[in-house]
Amino acid sequence: MEITTVTRGNGTVLSLAGRIDTVAAPMLEQAINRVMESGSRKILLDFSGVSYISSGGLRVFLAAAKKLKGPGDRFGLCCLHADVLKIFRLAGFTSIFSIYETEGEALAGW
Amino acid sequence: MPDCAGGLVYPLIRKVDTVSSNSYLVQTPDVILLIDPGGLPEQAAHLADVVRGARNEKARPLLVILTHAHVDHFLAARSDPLLADPASTILAAQDYGADAIESADRMATMAELLGQVIPPMRIDLRLLAAGGERAGIPVWRTLPCGATVTGVQRPLESGLASEQIAVGNGPGIDIFHTPGHSPDSCCIRIGGLLFIGDLFFAASPGLAGIPGWNQEALLRSLAGIGELLSSGGIAAVCAGHGPVLTKDNALRMLKAVQGDTRRLNGIADLDPDRAIETAAFAEACMEQVNELFTVMAGRLYYVSHIMDELGEDEIAAGLHALIRGDVIDELVDSFAAFGHEFHSGRCMPIHLALKGGHVMGKLERSFNQRELAQIIDPTLVLRAEHLLGDYTTMLRGFSPPRNIADADLNLLLKACLEGHAAHSGSDEDVLASVDDPAAFGRMLLARIGTPPLLADVAVTFDTDSESLTVPVDRERLLDLITYLLEDLVGTGAHAITIHTGKDGDTPVVTISGAGCTARPGGGIPRRFLSGLCERAGGTLDSCEAAGSRQFTIRFVTVL
Repeated sequence: MEITTVTRGNGTVLSLAGRIDTVAAPMLEQAINRVMESGSRKILLDFSGVSYISSGGLRVFLAAAKKLKGPGDRFGLCCLHADVLKIFRLAGFTSIFSIYETEGEALAGW
Repeated sequence: MPDCAGGLVYPLIRKVDTVSSNSYLVQTPDVILLIDPGGLPEQAAHLADVVRGARNEKARPLLVILTHAHVDHFLAARSDPLLADPASTILAAQDYGADAIESADRMATMAELLGQVIPPMRIDLRLLAAGGERAGIPVWRTLPCGATVTGVQRPLESGLASEQIAVGNGPGIDIFHTPGHSPDSCCIRIGGLLFIGDLFFAASPGLAGIPGWNQEALLRSLAGIGELLSSGGIAAVCAGHGPVLTKDNALRMLKAVQGDTRRLNGIADLDPDRAIETAAFAEACMEQVNELFTVMAGRLYYVSHIMDELGEDEIAAGLHALIRGDVIDELVDSFAAFGHEFHSGRCMPIHLALKGGHVMGKLERSFNQRELAQIIDPTLVLRAEHLLGDYTTMLRGFSPPRNIADADLNLLLKACLEGHAAHSGSDEDVLASVDDPAAFGRMLLARIGTPPLLADVAVTFDTDSESLTVPVDRERLLDLITYLLEDLVGTGAHAITIHTGKDGDTPVVTISGAGCTARPGGGIPRRFLSGLCERAGGTLDSCEAAGSRQFTIRFVTVL
């Protein structure tokens, strides 16, 4: 999977491309942790290039959400394909994460 | 080597697969015996090295005996010059198997099903040949390699036709005809070892029903070998795949295989067409398995996360034991990788079908169904069980269950919708559990883990026909409706309308969602859902336009 990290306003956007499977999930976790270690506490994951997510991937997002719950922290997901959105919704994750239709919609509120 | 003077056995035990069998080299002072050279050139080369080493100590003929003529057991026989050398090697096979190998019969040798190329090969010694020899009368043959082989067929032993052969002054080798897995299958006794080929795999899913498979013959063969094992004299049993077994373990396994075989009445022939059909079903099931297991694991992580937030660390940690998310992900990935190999033409449909069986068997053991169903939506767990069970049924040679009976569609759908709108446990149950910490804990977990699917969706049900009785498989139809509702809710529907009625004489159910995120390609239903709908008694279509998606189920016309 490919991860592109870009700073937008006062947040960091990680654009993900590929499958979030057993190989990609730890890679993604490291990338999110690196962004947090660099001091960014507002992270948006752009899912427009993601067609598949495994349970290991879901675990990575829960771990990130747990670390980003301080005052002023933001953690959101945007541009989810229908089948990926379905997994998040049915697993109950939509009550933990903020999910946005577009990147602009997410960043406008940050 | 038990009960074989001066005998040494060299077992080559492989990881179990369909490519090559185990091989067993038996070194005796007068002859070297090789039971099943396997299916791989590298295996043949390795065996040839061992034979060369033994011959450096003392030159002796090599007798290669096949337990049966399937490519994974014999194809390596001619891939190394030493094993193929007619001047020093004798290749022996049961009469029927000898015909199959000499004529390069692709069906009988399984070459067709396993996608192997086989050249015709010469068999030097036919075992248990019908006619020509009479029971009890020894026959001597001098073979091109100069060795003399004595053979004597015997009256039925434990109900099995048998022959004892010996090369020169070598040990007696008992060949027992044990058809069932294939018409030529044999078990071979040398000293205290019994080599059984694939006898114990003959009832396994994906092997039962192969060309030449015969249930009655298999039961007779198992009974005969059971008697032989019980009568003593056999210390260990060497299988064609997997580890060497003690006699007691072999007897236990034999009983289990007998039970499995008896349950295989009326299975389909596992020919190339059936293999293609089963492989397609494996792929269709895995699409759904993938989603179902990810959602189940995710739901449990969610409950665990909430419990963690509530400071219930111990409960949160305990929940992870109920489903092995890492194992599930690995299994799903491994099937996806195998599917890629298959579509690249690097393996055959039977391989994919068997891989599906392997993956689904492991998935079944990777989650605690009973406890999980008390926390997360029990229909998720039940559907996972149905899915895995249906595939195993198909792989075993049967059709997935289809229990068609008349049912009132309106009542069925209303009950389904009510079930998906209700919380787990009534409010009264929650209040009643407050004084019992354990019961309250269970109630809390279930409340968090099983939010009503339709809680945040406006649902409308309407019908043109007050009573709509149609023949359906109730359980499969409920599974299907739940999958479709989940699809709409999961992709963001804020309103769902279910309509029942008739199109002419055909009963029709439409399930429409508004506000859904569009799928690229128009949201064609998965193959699995179409197949499930057929098993439920209908046909499924879908269409998608500007934020709405509609599923249409048509049932058999009721006249």
